[in-house]
Order: sequence, then C-alpha cells, then structure tokens
Amino acid sequence: MQTQIKPAAHADAAACRTIAYSVVLLAVVGFPIVVPGALSSYGFEVGFRLLLLMTLAEAWNLLAGYGGLVSLGTASFFGAGGYMLMGLMNFAGLPVLPALLASAVAGAALAALVSPAVFRLKGLYFTVGTLALAEAIRLFMINTSYFGGATGWFAVVDPPSVQVLYLWAWVLFVFATIVLSLYVSSRLSIALKAVRDDEAAADQVGVRVFRVKLLAFMTASALMAMAGGLQAVKLGAIEPYGMFGISWSVDVLSVVIIGGIGLRAGPLVGTVFIVALSEWLADYPDVHLAITGLILIVVIRCAPQGLTGLAISLWRRRNGRRTQTGRADAAGAQSALERG
Amino acid sequence: MTVDSSFKAMDGQAPLLQVAGLTKRYGGVVAVNDLGFSLGKGQILGVIGPNGAGKSTLISMLGGALQPTEGNIFFNGRNITATSAASRARLGIGRTYQIPRPFLDMTVEENLLVPLYARSPFANRKIVRLECRALLEKTNLVDVADWRARDLPLLRRKRLEVARALALKPQLLMLDEVGGGLVDREIDELIELVRQVAPETDGIIIIEHVLRVVRECCSTTMVMNFGEKFAYGPTEDVLASDDVAAIYLGSAHKKQGRAEGANAAAQAGAEPVPDAALSQASHGLDSIVAPPRTPSGEAAPELLRLEDVCAGYGQARVLHGLSFGVKAGQAVAILGCNGAGKSTLSQVIAGTIKPTSGSLRFDGADITSMAPHRIADLGIAQCLEGRRIFPTLSVEENLLLAARRVAPKEQKERLDAVYRLFPILAERRGQAGTSMSGGQQQMLAIGRALMSRPRLVVFDEISLGLAPVIVDRLYTALDVLRKAGLTILLVEQDVERSLDLVDTAHIVSHGNIVLSGSAVEVRNHPGLKDLYVGAGHEEPRESVCV
Repeated sequence: MQTQIKPAAHADAAACRTIAYSVVLLAVVGFPIVVPGALSSYGFEVGFRLLLLMTLAEAWNLLAGYGGLVSLGTASFFGAGGYMLMGLMNFAGLPVLPALLASAVAGAALAALVSPAVFRLKGLYFTVGTLALAEAIRLFMINTSYFGGATGWFAVVDPPSVQVLYLWAWVLFVFATIVLSLYVSSRLSIALKAVRDDEAAADQVGVRVFRVKLLAFMTASALMAMAGGLQAVKLGAIEPYGMFGISWSVDVLSVVIIGGIGLRAGPLVGTVFIVALSEWLADYPDVHLAITGLILIVVIRCAPQGLTGLAISLWRRRNGRRTQTGRADAAGAQSALERG
Repeated sequence: MTVDSSFKAMDGQAPLLQVAGLTKRYGGVVAVNDLGFSLGKGQILGVIGPNGAGKSTLISMLGGALQPTEGNIFFNGRNITATSAASRARLGIGRTYQIPRPFLDMTVEENLLVPLYARSPFANRKIVRLECRALLEKTNLVDVADWRARDLPLLRRKRLEVARALALKPQLLMLDEVGGGLVDREIDELIELVRQVAPETDGIIIIEHVLRVVRECCSTTMVMNFGEKFAYGPTEDVLASDDVAAIYLGSAHKKQGRAEGANAAAQAGAEPVPDAALSQASHGLDSIVAPPRTPSGEAAPELLRLEDVCAGYGQARVLHGLSFGVKAGQAVAILGCNGAGKSTLSQVIAGTIKPTSGSLRFDGADITSMAPHRIADLGIAQCLEGRRIFPTLSVEENLLLAARRVAPKEQKERLDAVYRLFPILAERRGQAGTSMSGGQQQMLAIGRALMSRPRLVVFDEISLGLAPVIVDRLYTALDVLRKAGLTILLVEQDVERSLDLVDTAHIVSHGNIVLSGSAVEVRNHPGLKDLYVGAGHEEPRESVCV
C-alpha cells in the first residue's frame, strides 16, 4: 500500500522544494526594489549584473545540465537580442517592453535557424560548433555596414535609471525562473534528460529527439536574447565586440560549472561566487582572470557537481549516518517482506 | 516491387511484419544479405545463429536505428523502410538492447516515463503513474523505482530494458539476448514474463543464445549465418537439424537427448576440427604458461589462499568471510547465480576492491593490500567479465599490451603461442579489437590474459552471450591450457561446462561458500539443484538470486 503512493509523493515533494526555493530566492532578490535605500547605486549596478548573469546561467543550465547540450554560443543569442531591441527602439520607435519581447522571438528564431546545422554535431563537436557560430556572427556584424559595422549603434533615447534597470532585470529573472521551473518539473524535462543520457535509445522508445532538443534550445535562446536586450538598454550603445564577445559564452559556462551543473541552485550559487570574485578583484583584471581559471580547474577536478554539489554531499555526510541507516533499514524491511 | 503488389492482394490479412530483400553493407562487409521472412499476428519468432551472423543488425534495422542498404520492411502492410526510429516506436515497435542502455542518470521510474509520455504526450499524469507502477510490478522493479539506473546491477538493468520496451505497448516486441548471463531460475522468470506479455502484443521476435528460451517460447525459429537465412521453420525441427548443429549448436545439441542427431553432428565435423587444431597448439605453450614451481614428488603447494575475506561497496556487504585455496596446477571453479558475489570476488583477487577484513596470500606473499598492478606482476592475470578489449588498439596491440616489459624475442614467442591457440586472431591481427565478433573478442581477452605468462588466471564469465559452439571452442582451449599446467580459477554460471573442466568447485550464494568439493562430488550433490539451479518454486522469487 505504502509503496503505491510513494512515487507521486516523491514527485510532489520535489515540486514543493522547487517552488519554495523559487519563492525564497525571488523574495531575497526582489527586496531592494520594495525597500528604498536598501542598496546604493553601486549595489544596484552589481545587482543588475548578478541578475543578468543568473538569467543567462539558468537558461544555459537547461541546455547543458538537462539537455547535455554544452553550448559556447551564448553570445550569439545575447548579441542578437541586443541588436534586435536596439534596432526596434531606434528605427521603429518601439518602447522597451515590446522590443524586449521581440528580442526573445529573435533569439528563438535564430536558434531554430541554426539548429539543423548545430544539432548534426554531437557532444564536444556541438560545443565547438556553437563557438564557431558565435564568432561567425560577430565577424559578420563587424563587416556589415547595415548593422553599424564595428562602431555599432547608439540608443536615441537615454537609458533609464539603474533602479529601474534593476527592476526590469528582476522581472526578467522572475520570468526565467518560472519558465525554467515549469520546464524542469514537467514531462518536457523527462524527454530532455532521456536525450541527454542516450540519444539513440531515446529515439528507440519514441522520443522525437530533434524536436525535444529544439524546444530546449529555443527556450534557452529566447531567455538569453532577452538578457542581451536588457544589457543593450543599460549600455545605451552597442557594438559587435561587446555584444557578441566570447566572454559572455565563457562567463556563463564558468558560472554554471562552478555553481553545479544540472542542479537547480547551481546557476545561482555560481553567479554569486563569480560576481563577488570579480568585484573583489575589480582592480586587478589579470589576477582575476587567472584566479577564475584556477578555480574552474580545481572545481572540475575535485567537485564535478560544483560548489552546490559539494555542499550537498558535505551536508549529507554530516547528517548522513542517521538517514543512511534509515534507508538501509527500509531496504532490509523491503527484502524481508519479499522473503515473506 | 512484387512484394508490394502481393500485399495489396492480401489486403487486411497482411502479416504483422514482412521483410523482403533486406541487406545491410558496411563498405565491403555484408552484415545482412537479402533476408526475407514474415511474422504472422500472434507469432513468436526465435532468431539464433553464431556471433556476428547479423542478428543484432537485423533488430537495429527493424527498429529503425540503422537504415538498410537495400530491401523493404512492412509493418501491418505498411512500408516503414524509411520511417524514423521514433515514429516506428510510436507505431508499436519496441526493442531491447543486447547490452542494456538505460538512461543512466534518471531514476528507474523516469526511465519508464520516457516511453509512456513519448507514446501519449498529453496523457493524464495520474494514469501514467499508475501504468508505470503496473510495469514496475510486472518486471519486479518496484523496490528500486527511485534508484538511479546507473546504480542498478546488470540483471536489473536488463529488466528495466524489457520494462521500457513494454511501456510502448508494442505490437511487435523485439528482445535482443535478454537471457544472456541469467541462471536457470532467472530464465524461468524470463520465460514466464514472455508468456505473460505475449497476449498483449501481436508478435515477438526473440534473439537468444539461451536455447531454452527459444525452445519454450518460440513456435518458429530462424537461424542466421553470415548475414543470411540459414534455416527457418518450426522450432523443434530447426533445433534438431544437423546442419544447424554443425554451425551453431555444437555440444548443446547432445544435451537435447537426440542421440542420432549428435552422432550426425559429430560426423558433420562440428567438433573434431577444433580439437585437431588445438592438439597442435598444445605444443610450445611454455612461453605463455608458467610451469608450477613444484618440487617433484611433493604435493602441490597452495598458490592462492583466501582467508575469511569480507568485502563490499559502501554500505552493501557482498562477501561474508570466504575462505578457499587454489593449488598450483589446479583448476578451480567458483559457481553461483547473479548477485552471489562472484564478480566481487574476482575483483578482490585482482586488487581493485580491497577486502574489509580477512587476508589473501599468493605464493606465500600477503597481497591483501597490494596495488592491482603489483598483484599482476606477481603472476595473477585477469580475463575480465565483459572482455574489456581496448577498442582503439588492434588485436596484436591488445595482446602486446600485456607483455610490455618483455624482450622482443620473447614477445614474439608468446604471440605465436596465442595465435596457435586461437588462429583466427592471427588472421585478424591488424584489425581493431572490438571490430571482431563477440566470440573472437573473448578469445582475444583470453589471449591477452596469457601474454604476461601468468601463474594463475582468473577467467570471469567467459561464456557470457556467446553461441554454444563458440563456448565449446573456448572451453576446449581452457582444457588445453589446464593440461599444459596453467593454474585456473574459473568464475562461471554455466555449471555443466565448468564441472567438466575443473578439479574442485565452490558454490557461492549470498557471499558465502555453501558447497565445496571435487567436480564429481558437487555434480552429484543432491543439494546442488536447490542451491543453484533453482528448480525450487516454493521459494519466493529473487530471494536467492538478486
């Protein structure tokens, strides 16, 4: 009897945890908006970066952690979103919000456009393919005068205040968290994880592999493009080197790997760590780069599940003895039952 | 094209599956050649044949993972040759993989949700959960529902493989060697499961080396050889055929109890050939078999001694105080069913798992906490379960790897000795190790274990997933090695064959030795059947074997 309700209860518990986690997170990050004076403008500045990177990392985690699609093409979609938004605001006079939605569409469309090519590549080749994609788009933008060439575009309207930008970034982050929580706790993620674990076997049990990957790719790209759009609003001026720069792709990857790939809290932990580190070492850019690289190596070598995974296993080890015995007891009871 | 028109004529009466002119070529190699057969509704078809005959290629083409070079496949009268694998799965073709391929980082339950949701993406969640539960119960996986598939032992993975295929509610179910590596009791369960699901499907294709499954489940059997249909007909007739005996059944034919068939098979040259070749090979095995260091006239000393060895993985205790010895020049078998602790035992001897208590001595030296490579240096070689051939190395490189620090002249002698033992390896010396058939790979694994000129070799499950005729060949080779003075520790499930070879046998159950004695004593022990073969249905399922 008991075993019959167990799996459903198990899934519900997981869903509850996700919801509780999201609520706490949103409340903590949203707090400066409600309470005036809680943050200085420097604080808002850092907060904006944190939220943007967190959104990107969440989206990237869906691809890499749940779909096994380790992409180095984040910059393509980030940049495409930025250019779409700036173009619509400058030349069509659109307000920010509809322009931001249009960048999401642009990101998803670009993903759909390149998917037949990049999905032909598997594993590491996919990673290299997406890297090549981002570089190709960057070179295209530099050499095409239609999009302002290497100088890029300047915004015709002044950027809003940093507080407003923070609010928008928060809204985007909330949106991303909701979308990804729904994605990850739904049946969509079951197919996605199956594709990650064994594409051929998934095919053989009826999963339409291409569609499953495409949906995840488009969802993640749309979110990345919106983040790019927001960055364009903040900068007030965009150019290909910055918007399509490889650093966006690499930063996001290091954030998720250091935080914990495939774990719900991984992107958050990683972002806080990376942003804090970069603020702390802001005056020494060379040292900063070297240290980030070193940490990345150490984490990959010693804690493949990132800081979050490390924390979870340490926590389990501390409280483990009791739970483990409990589990062994349950298993023992089970086999005793089977023996009659 | 003629097939197409004949189908229209039959209209509505179309068989479940019709295959015509099916061919698969890889470059110049023909894996399947012009194969044609049909499967009527409600039929269970067995497919047997030597390793490398193209059976798994056939399944892959039917399932859609491989595109045939030529030919057509009709399912319910519809040409599905160009249909994708995913669409075929949705049409109701389910398959299992010979080597289980569960989604490793998902739970067992999630593994089953994949096909359930793939089949009906918008199904009510509660109903899907119930279906999932029913499948878990049917395949005996309820207790591991929330385990990660990666943590499952092989046997459970096989069950999950079957459960996953069943989750598609397949009209056509294809089982690719699900019986491999199971003992009799588990095969009973498998046969029972096939019978249970048969009415829910419209047809089943079973590829199997375990002949009992074919004999008891399949009405019709097809034999494949070199990618072609070698024989096709009612199972009884096919299994009694002398031609089939010659290419595939080997000595398994004799056990069927049809004496005249066995004699005919012997006349057809099924067995004397390898024997003749091997008797030649037995000369000059000195280069790969270290002579037991026994002063003449004295009783052979113990080469390996295990004393009260306990071992396990984390919380799970697998071995509970095993003690036994292997004398120099002796052949000893460790028998037991899946999960009894046999593989753990061979890993403990190899040094890759350290015992939690107890001691191991080899030739007087304490090897309990010695590093694996040092143990290998002392002269214990491993022929590992699952063969573990290095895929990127050629056959010869695989062999030479085990004799790295040896003078070139000596290396040459050892290679020659292995090639004499298994001439096919000489022919394939430049080929990639894993490009050969399963039987040839197993020969390579045995050859590699001998290349270090070991004093003791642990052979772990060498008969797993191989055609009976190949297993005959391997055991004949082991017999030659034994006669040449090699000390052998055989870890096996195949009781009959092992007892034919060894001097002493130990039966392991639940990590304890429950029966020891000479091969004759063990064979005649009345408890053997209850302990191991498991005819005892009064015992609850799984209590002994899992």
